Amino acid sequence: MIEAEALGARVGEFELRDVSFVVPAGKYGVVIGAAGSGKTTLLETIAGIIPMKNGVLRLGGRDTTGVPPEQRNTGIVYQHGFLFPHLSVAENVRYGATDFSFADAIAKRIGASDLYAREVRGLSGGERQLVAIARALAPRPEVLLLDEPFSALDPRRRTLVRREVRRVARELRITVLQVTHDFTEAGLLGDVAVLIDQGRVLQSGPPERLFREPASPYIAEFLGAENVYAGEVRYLEDASPDFVDGATELLARGHHAIEFLTGGLKLYTIGDAPAGDGHAVIRAEEVLISAQPQESSARNQFKGVVSEIATTGALTRVTVEIAGERGGKSAPIVAALTTRSAQELALREGSEVWASFKAMAVHLC
Amino acid sequence: MRQAHRAASVLAAFCGSIFLLFLVAPIVRLIGAGGASGLAHLFTDAELRSALALTALTATSATALAILGGTPVAYLLERREFRGRALLAAVIDLPLLIPHPVAGIALLLVLGRRSLVGGTLLDLGIRVVGSPVGIVCAMLFVSAPLYVSATREAFARVDVRYEAVARSLGDPAWRAFRRVTLPLSSRGMIAAGVVVWARAVSEFGAIVILTYNPKVASVLSYDRFTSYGLDEALPVAAVLAILAFVPLFLLRTLRASRGAAAFVQ
Repeated sequence: MIEAEALGARVGEFELRDVSFVVPAGKYGVVIGAAGSGKTTLLETIAGIIPMKNGVLRLGGRDTTGVPPEQRNTGIVYQHGFLFPHLSVAENVRYGATDFSFADAIAKRIGASDLYAREVRGLSGGERQLVAIARALAPRPEVLLLDEPFSALDPRRRTLVRREVRRVARELRITVLQVTHDFTEAGLLGDVAVLIDQGRVLQSGPPERLFREPASPYIAEFLGAENVYAGEVRYLEDASPDFVDGATELLARGHHAIEFLTGGLKLYTIGDAPAGDGHAVIRAEEVLISAQPQESSARNQFKGVVSEIATTGALTRVTVEIAGERGGKSAPIVAALTTRSAQELALREGSEVWASFKAMAVHLC
Repeated sequence: MRQAHRAASVLAAFCGSIFLLFLVAPIVRLIGAGGASGLAHLFTDAELRSALALTALTATSATALAILGGTPVAYLLERREFRGRALLAAVIDLPLLIPHPVAGIALLLVLGRRSLVGGTLLDLGIRVVGSPVGIVCAMLFVSAPLYVSATREAFARVDVRYEAVARSLGDPAWRAFRRVTLPLSSRGMIAAGVVVWARAVSEFGAIVILTYNPKVASVLSYDRFTSYGLDEALPVAAVLAILAFVPLFLLRTLRASRGAAAFVQ
């Protein structure tokens, strides 16, 4: 288990401040953040390489204040591997291990044992990462800290190794904290996600909550939400709104039926956001595009014109320009749909379409 | 445009050639004029043999002491941040910048018979002034800064994250240094040691203040020049130049064959 409470550390001018989060024992945590946000500093502070300035850090329930790195039972893998070039690949893998046969078995599972005959200096970036992962796992650490450990692997190998690392971690009950820029990876791997910016934790929790319920428009945009609108939250005096199933239950829990006004658009949702200025976030995956109005319960339905179509492999992002009500300012809504769906709809720039999303797809922050 | 480039290239080649000639010509002339007779003198001149043996012994001792004391200091200066680090680095470099006879005088003030340290050492039966100990002290004082500076550079080339990984794998600081940093910086440290040795061999100014007798090769060469003239000094000077040149040449050859900065990832 990794428990950080108001953790602080300083490296030159950079400061890690009030960092608090928990990754339960045997679970997989991911740290997301922009370049220079303090992700690696956080890992190095947990590993004991950078001294803590304040706060409390518990690893496996044990307070690690003043505990040197070699006594923390943590393994660290850097993006560039940092394999010891004066040692062979096998010596690297076995460096911290007491049980060499276990170290070799781990290397085999990760795919590093095939490299035993090679020179460290001749390994590619991806191969170095494999060896570094095996080396960190070989001493059976309690906590594994991974700094972009799969970034140099080809996509196929990345999927396999990612799956194997997670499997090994589960089997050995290793708590993992991994730094990644890849939101898909964060969603796939993480039981807990920690979003960090300028040395501070902006939000932490299950990844799907971070993605669906970002605490601020900045977080929403950082996590790739394309539909973020500034506007005004107004409570509706509707005791049983028809735009959410189970609305009465939500209202009984103190939520409000809400009308969100942004430019010329009016969105409906139920939530506990305070009335007044706020932001609405709708993930592109939640937006449906159709040639005709939907007959579903989606209360948020708008007619618009396709202004941009961007296809990246199996996904197509469609921007629909929605004309504001009563001559108000128009607003773009981005929808993510499969490329096949986009082709079936015969979408073209200038096509008239309907964009719709459920009231519960609107997150206010 | 092309003509201007050509003229610039010719000018650069001319300046470079003159510069190289200026550096190389005296040494080539010295070894050419006295090298053969110097080597011949090795078989017949007992004083020269003795001076060379003393030079090699004291230079090796000074190098060993520089490695022993300079390595932790270089590591400290390179890897740890502390108040006064810049001042300490400047103080260590100082002997490189002061005239060497001045360095000798400074050492005499600390290690002379009438000084606290020198007197205490003498009471313990260790004579510094006028003994090989004084020669070692003079050599160490003027050449150790070179070792600290070059070794710092060698440590700087080894990314601190190698040590971080080693420590996360269970090595205490000292073991991580021994198993990782030391082997990765050893080439730079060996080079630093060779430079220190060569510098110690060629030292004269500080030694002559502390210990004129017994004579090291540089003092012998000076002594013969002032007492008997150029012809008598030449063989000694040439042998001394060869003695300093050989390890440096071997070092450069070794470096070139192995490639530079091989450990930088």
